[in-house]
Amino acid sequence: MNLRLIVSIGTAAIALTLISLWMGQQSYGWFPPQASAESILVDQLFSFLVALGTFIFLGVIGVIVYAVLFQQAGKYDTSDGPPIEGNVPLEIIWTAIPFALVIWIAFYSYQIYDQMSILGPMEHVHKTGIAMAAPAKDVAPADEGSGAIAPIEVHARQWVWEFRYPDRNVTSTELHLPNNQRVKLVLQSEDVLHGFFVPAFRIKQDIIPGRAIDFEFTPIREGRYRLRDSQYSGTYFAAMQADVVVDSPEAYEQWLTAAAAQPPTVAYNRAFDEYRLAQNPISPGWKIVEPAAPPLVNVSTSPSSNPPSGEVSNP
Amino acid sequence: MTNLSVEAIAQVEQPLPGAPDNWRRFFSFSTDHKVIGIQYLVTAFFFFLVGGLLAMIMRGELITPESDLVDRAVYNAMFTMHGTIMLFLWTFPALLGLSNYLVPLMIGAQDMAFPRLNAVAFWMVPVFGFILMASFFVPGGPAQSGWWAYPPVSLQNPTGNLITGQTLWLLAVAISGVASIMGAVNFVTTIARMRAPGMTWFRMPVFVWTVLAAQIIQLFGLPALTAGAVMLLLDITAGTSFFDPAKGGDPILFQHFFWFYSHPAVYVIILPIFGVFSEIFPVYARKPLFGYKVVAISSLIITGLSGVVWVHHMFASGTPGWMRMLFMATTMLISVPTGIKVFAWVATIWGGKLRLNTPMLFALGGLTMFVFAGVTGIMLAAVPFDIHVNNTYFVVGHFHYVIYGAVVMGMYAALYHWFPKMTGRMYSEGLGKLHFALTFLGTNLNFFPMHPLGLMGMPRRVASYDPEFAFWNVIASLGGFLLGISTLPFLLNFIGSWVQGEKAPKNPWRAIGLEWLISSPPSAENFEELPIVIAEPYGYGKDEPLVANPDALEVAHESR
Amino acid sequence: MNPAELDPTLNAQGEISQPLETHAAHSAHSAHSAHTHDDAGNRMFGFIVFLLSESVIFLSFFVGYVVYKTSALEWLPPGVTGLEIREPAINTVVLVSSSFVIYIAERFLHNKNLWGFRAFWLLTAIMGSYFLYGQAVEWSGLPFGFTDGVFGGSFYLLTGFHGLHVLTGVLLQLIMLGRSFIPGNYDKGEFGVAATSLFWHFVDVIWILLFVLIYVWK
Repeated sequence: MNLRLIVSIGTAAIALTLISLWMGQQSYGWFPPQASAESILVDQLFSFLVALGTFIFLGVIGVIVYAVLFQQAGKYDTSDGPPIEGNVPLEIIWTAIPFALVIWIAFYSYQIYDQMSILGPMEHVHKTGIAMAAPAKDVAPADEGSGAIAPIEVHARQWVWEFRYPDRNVTSTELHLPNNQRVKLVLQSEDVLHGFFVPAFRIKQDIIPGRAIDFEFTPIREGRYRLRDSQYSGTYFAAMQADVVVDSPEAYEQWLTAAAAQPPTVAYNRAFDEYRLAQNPISPGWKIVEPAAPPLVNVSTSPSSNPPSGEVSNP
Repeated sequence: MTNLSVEAIAQVEQPLPGAPDNWRRFFSFSTDHKVIGIQYLVTAFFFFLVGGLLAMIMRGELITPESDLVDRAVYNAMFTMHGTIMLFLWTFPALLGLSNYLVPLMIGAQDMAFPRLNAVAFWMVPVFGFILMASFFVPGGPAQSGWWAYPPVSLQNPTGNLITGQTLWLLAVAISGVASIMGAVNFVTTIARMRAPGMTWFRMPVFVWTVLAAQIIQLFGLPALTAGAVMLLLDITAGTSFFDPAKGGDPILFQHFFWFYSHPAVYVIILPIFGVFSEIFPVYARKPLFGYKVVAISSLIITGLSGVVWVHHMFASGTPGWMRMLFMATTMLISVPTGIKVFAWVATIWGGKLRLNTPMLFALGGLTMFVFAGVTGIMLAAVPFDIHVNNTYFVVGHFHYVIYGAVVMGMYAALYHWFPKMTGRMYSEGLGKLHFALTFLGTNLNFFPMHPLGLMGMPRRVASYDPEFAFWNVIASLGGFLLGISTLPFLLNFIGSWVQGEKAPKNPWRAIGLEWLISSPPSAENFEELPIVIAEPYGYGKDEPLVANPDALEVAHESR
Repeated sequence: MNPAELDPTLNAQGEISQPLETHAAHSAHSAHSAHTHDDAGNRMFGFIVFLLSESVIFLSFFVGYVVYKTSALEWLPPGVTGLEIREPAINTVVLVSSSFVIYIAERFLHNKNLWGFRAFWLLTAIMGSYFLYGQAVEWSGLPFGFTDGVFGGSFYLLTGFHGLHVLTGVLLQLIMLGRSFIPGNYDKGEFGVAATSLFWHFVDVIWILLFVLIYVWK
């Protein structure tokens, strides 16, 4: 009888483990493409967490479902169950194992975070104070030998993304990055909190007005991805998106050179366009913060990449 | 109506104000904790419906990628008010109502320690509820900065008026805070000093333990929020610069103040639901609660740890790496006492004699959803993964599994379980099961799709989104509407049963607990003679009496 | 063990076990007279719980002050060199000594010496009022205002919020002084006096921390 119990528990555990491992493998497919070195690390961690989580969830719920299916009282059975009030060894086990598990998860997560090292030293806050609307003057020079590209400034305001390449004198509302190189960004906001979030890179950082935050990562896959504002920033929050283009290093060079040659034009901006249109079915006409004027940039995104809601204006 | 004779009216008016079947007392400044409890519950449920309506408008907007149903500003006001109403006007007051009704009964007291304070605290709920609703009608509309009210967005005041949605919002939150502190002082004093003879700490039902743990959180957490709110209000109205970076202020400090309270606030909400689970599983599994003392103590451990985890809401904010790592560790730890509880409930169910009526179904459903939320919670605690899903729909899915899945379902479980005690009537089991089926299906349809959406990178709080997210959003919206529909059988059941349900006996579930030893509904004084408790709770299968004086608790003619 | 010994509230509840008819008659007039056994023990316990909670608000403001002071680039507003410490120090001495004065007053009441109590109680209120006066004088002479940066904001917020507490304390003292003339006021215990006194000590301790943070810490 004991043998039967051990065999059935063993079988269940093996089945659970297999299902959990399978789920862990599946989890890679739930994300956008892996477009940065960091995304590989994050997806690994998530796969591990999914496998572990599946095991715990199915284990606990399996027991409940079994009890619900096979341990119901008969219709006229008014007797009580066995008066078991506890079991000290069991309770120690289910305290100790989760404890060990979470320590393991925390340690593993720490290692991954350490490898990613996306965030500059937050302690040394570059407070730009009152003058924060002005472009940051002294961005720390790239000190990582030759080949490292100069930091790119990311300027967020309600509800515009603007990217500046100070060494090449280029401004753009589309973020171009070279493939397979460590990219350094300096995140700045001119009004409220914003969030720099590129799902394909699995990275995110709030942008704090009055600070310049150093942020870095490594794109590894050429293509066009989406940058979204991830920290609620007011009325047109959802419209504050931009495209991120990862180019081969050569194409990136070409783009910069071509961009520098283009005269600045007024960029397309979805929030600004919608504000001018402003015709939604249900609008109480509440006074809102006006969108910032679209910036003058060398390169602007096309309206089709982020079309305005409502009636589309015909040029 | 016209058939009512004068005699009948006279009969209706006959019961004294304190008598249990006089409905007028629910509209009066009653100091009876049972009346106040029901006042809280009914008021809170009204606001639950209001908040749900806002949610359904939001889901209506999100059923298409475009921002095409309501204005973006309206959408932002919707999610701000939805969050605020659901927390401050539904979960908090609903749980206060349940605690108000049950705690004095469970510890064998005749009322709360401060009945008048109790009533004052309750009547503040409709007051700040009204203020919040009124903010829809001020120029510029209600607050649109989310229920976090993060500056600088919350400092922006395009109307230039002094009375704006945001200032009314702050006022409402402040009144709510004052009321909550009053309630917390009352509960802690009641539990510490009003227990019946023989009701030692380790004879208290776990629900009482969890209420104590939750109310202690209110006491140390709320003042921090109050401090932050005062400074924010001064920034908006008096021109100070505490949180305004343009004038040298620090917006991140507000986030610390806010989350120092608002994360533990989640435990204020979930702990009493843990208590409900701990009460309901033993009754319908006919077994003692497994590891009672450990379950009781783990509530206090959760209280302690809840004060040192708040930064996990700010992993992608202006926080340095070391802080992220430190708070990852503490957040991971809090899963241990929570896990202990989950395992204890499963062990309680295991090998029992299960009876699957409505409260048990809701409790089991709630537990299932909570385990899922626990798993995603651990994932969120891992900083590298959180960096990706922070402020995405993954988080929204996670906390709705906690707050709808576990808290609302647990709340329903509690309402069905104690409905006979509160009203003296039985509810309809068929409608109850229909309600459960719709709720369980609707919750999963509504909130499961949010997880894949978050993984794909859909930020929360957006009024429009890229078309790639449409599929899961349509499903979520359908689930949301289903949840709206699911409240109809509940309302039908409870209103109908309260009016003309079958009369409930003292103890329809054969449950063990002081509240089940007295009539349904209990008399105004609860106990004629204070119970003398001689046993631990949950003595299922042990055949031992709970009190030494079961027959003296009520005068004969009052018991049924 | 006698259950009544477990908890002082039970003594009061002894009188509750009377026939239902009496109860019903009672509740018909005053709402639930049976429940009004708010004995002093419960109230004092509740009041201490409340003060503990209240202290967290001050703690939060203190933490905010420390964060601002350690992280701000320009802490003092332009033209402000620092705070004058002499007058506030005198104020501090007055407020802290009033804690001893109120204690003496309480002892007098304990020994049923009503006039001694009233004299020292009034002295406490006068010392508290002097503190408020001193603070008003200091405020009016300062070269910076509420909206002058985070320093101005947190200085006025901290001292003002504390000042409100002192004002509350003085008002409570005056109410208690007035009530001491009601005959039989202390038959049911001295909760009001004890609570006011406790509140006063609380306000004092907060001031000492505040004084160290704002005036002493450079």
